[in-house]
Amino acid sequence: MPAPLPVGEPTPKPKPSLSVLQRRWRKFKTIKRGYYSFVIMLTAYAISFFLPVLINSKALVVRYNGEFYVPLFRYYPASTFGMDAYGEPDYRALAQQLREQNAGNWALLPPYPYSPVESLLDLPGTPPHAPSAEHFFGTDDRGRDIFARLAYGFNVSMSFAIIVLLISYVIGIWVGALIGYFGGKLDMLGLRLIEIWSSLPFLYTIIIVSSIVVPIYMPGRNLLLQPSFWMLVAILTLFDWMGITYYIRGEYYREKSKDYVGAAIAMGASDWKIMFQHILPNSLTPVISFAPFFIVGNIGALVSLDFLGFGLPAPTPSWGELIGQGMENLTKWWLVAYPLGAMFLTLLLIVFIGEAIREAFDPKSFSRLR
Amino acid sequence: MTITNNNSNGQAGNILEVENLRVSYPITGGVFARKIAEVRAVDDVSFVLQQGETLGLVGESGCGKSTVGRAIVNILRAMVYGVEISGRILYHPPQESPTTSTQANNHAGPVDLASLSRAAMRPYRPDLQMIFQDPYSSLNPRMTVGQIVEEPLTIHARLTKQERVDRVGWLLEKVGLTREQSSRYPHEFSGGQRQRIGIARALATNPRIVIADEPVSALDVSIQAQVINLMQDLQDEFGLSYLFIAHDLSLVRHISDRIAVMYLGHIVEVGSAANVYKAPMHPYSRALLSAVPRPDPDARRADRIRLSGEVPNPINKPSGCAFRTRCPIAKPSCADAVPPLELKGDRWVACPHV
Repeated sequence: MPAPLPVGEPTPKPKPSLSVLQRRWRKFKTIKRGYYSFVIMLTAYAISFFLPVLINSKALVVRYNGEFYVPLFRYYPASTFGMDAYGEPDYRALAQQLREQNAGNWALLPPYPYSPVESLLDLPGTPPHAPSAEHFFGTDDRGRDIFARLAYGFNVSMSFAIIVLLISYVIGIWVGALIGYFGGKLDMLGLRLIEIWSSLPFLYTIIIVSSIVVPIYMPGRNLLLQPSFWMLVAILTLFDWMGITYYIRGEYYREKSKDYVGAAIAMGASDWKIMFQHILPNSLTPVISFAPFFIVGNIGALVSLDFLGFGLPAPTPSWGELIGQGMENLTKWWLVAYPLGAMFLTLLLIVFIGEAIREAFDPKSFSRLR
Repeated sequence: MTITNNNSNGQAGNILEVENLRVSYPITGGVFARKIAEVRAVDDVSFVLQQGETLGLVGESGCGKSTVGRAIVNILRAMVYGVEISGRILYHPPQESPTTSTQANNHAGPVDLASLSRAAMRPYRPDLQMIFQDPYSSLNPRMTVGQIVEEPLTIHARLTKQERVDRVGWLLEKVGLTREQSSRYPHEFSGGQRQRIGIARALATNPRIVIADEPVSALDVSIQAQVINLMQDLQDEFGLSYLFIAHDLSLVRHISDRIAVMYLGHIVEVGSAANVYKAPMHPYSRALLSAVPRPDPDARRADRIRLSGEVPNPINKPSGCAFRTRCPIAKPSCADAVPPLELKGDRWVACPHV
């Protein structure tokens, strides 16, 4: 630099001003329906990670003969608690027994003491059992509590949809940014390859892949850490990332011709910096607006795959599988009504969120640019 | 065409020489997006810019003025895919470069900016900055004013964070804003204020040449005067050389020392501002200057030259002199060759018939 640059007197720290994103968040909060849907979904999803404490057949804590046991995290054979049985004890029976003995021993059960993978074979009659006071959504054709399965299925579906969305976005934004920013031959070639790739039939590919790689269920492992879950995520991502690529490419094409990009080039900023520091924040409107609808689509895709039997392996709690059972047991209305109701409610709330985001991100309201 | 040595003082004070600059944009079509035609936006343009002067570049919309400016700061290749640039843009770096970095010391003589890659161009970027036409799209709406003005400093100057913040405040005060406004976002400012921010950004690295691409055409008249006066004050203070691109002729006359008139990618007349305005020689300059509104109601329209027809399509330019299709004094010979700029008295004119 020629000569030391004059800097003048020190600048005081002023109070911050609202960025475009902050203003949009404020606008979003004023759209009550979407905002409350967002709060409800966020809370429900956060709670769903604590389901093992809320809905589970294992006791949280057992106090037996002066010692504490935590069956939630450790395996204890039934003989530990003086029960005449093999394997893991039936903690509901244990709690009952300890209460009756009244010897200072007790077992603390979760609020809803049924597991989604536990067949309740001692219920009267044959499964599926109709809704009752104890199992208010009934049980499925293997005698498993439907409410428990729906709750765990919510966590699986939402996690699946969000993970697929995030990975698809990372790939899609990258590719869209590259072809949109550099343009020319890369753009031409990239678009043609994407067109070819997107014309592959998605469902057939899944059917073929799952007939080669037979999904297995690993008992005792967290639902989100199952290999079959990640295989489905990978397959769906392969076909999902193209959705956002087109929009990002278009955004980059338009933004690149604007003068602020020219100014950044003229001051010597690198391509990398221009792409991700200058243009990307200005291209977020489609990214954020489409996110809820992508999530809806991903949940729908998982439900339909499970329904067809190409989704997560049994006995993963899943909504699609329950609806599939409903088709085989046409007179058992609760097999269809409750999963569909849960799905309807979830998708409806997410669509409300999506609507509100779309309105809050309407480019016309905050910038005179577009 | 040879080097147009169209300044009377010789080459001693030249800071920038543009020689035979040609820029063409491709027009693509067909399945494989091949180039099927080209727009010769700038066609064999040569001029020099002297240290500390203001060269006004005037012409109607679409004549290639902005492209010349963008070619000089070397942003065309990165912004427009497939653009073709030929010719030389010689920049004379300061003879005794105080820069301690090694890159600039290797080049004692002029540097051809048109031949430099983006990486090689980087050491010269601080010296050449640009003020953009549209104050709305030239500021990133997601960055605060402070971040916008600070960015060139982050890239080029070795200053600490606090020094940069202080310099941003100093620059904002120089252009008539306050230090406190550095945390605001562009949408909180008016057009004139935004253009001041653009000027502060251009000045951040202490440039020697500023390309002002219609800096006030998006502003209303009272604000135009403020911005122009600000630019003149800054020129006096920092010894800037301006290439002032505009279509507002009275404005150019006010600010420029010399004027170059462009028509359809060619420079048709170059001379001192006073002379060109007093007695334009090229038929296009005459028509252009007769269109300047005059405040005297009796004098107006008396000597108005009306051109017939439209500006020809730059994809398919007329042969020879580009202006011959609309020229009142055109002769059959005009279609033969592009007339070169010739020295006629006190200025350079690209017309053999005046």
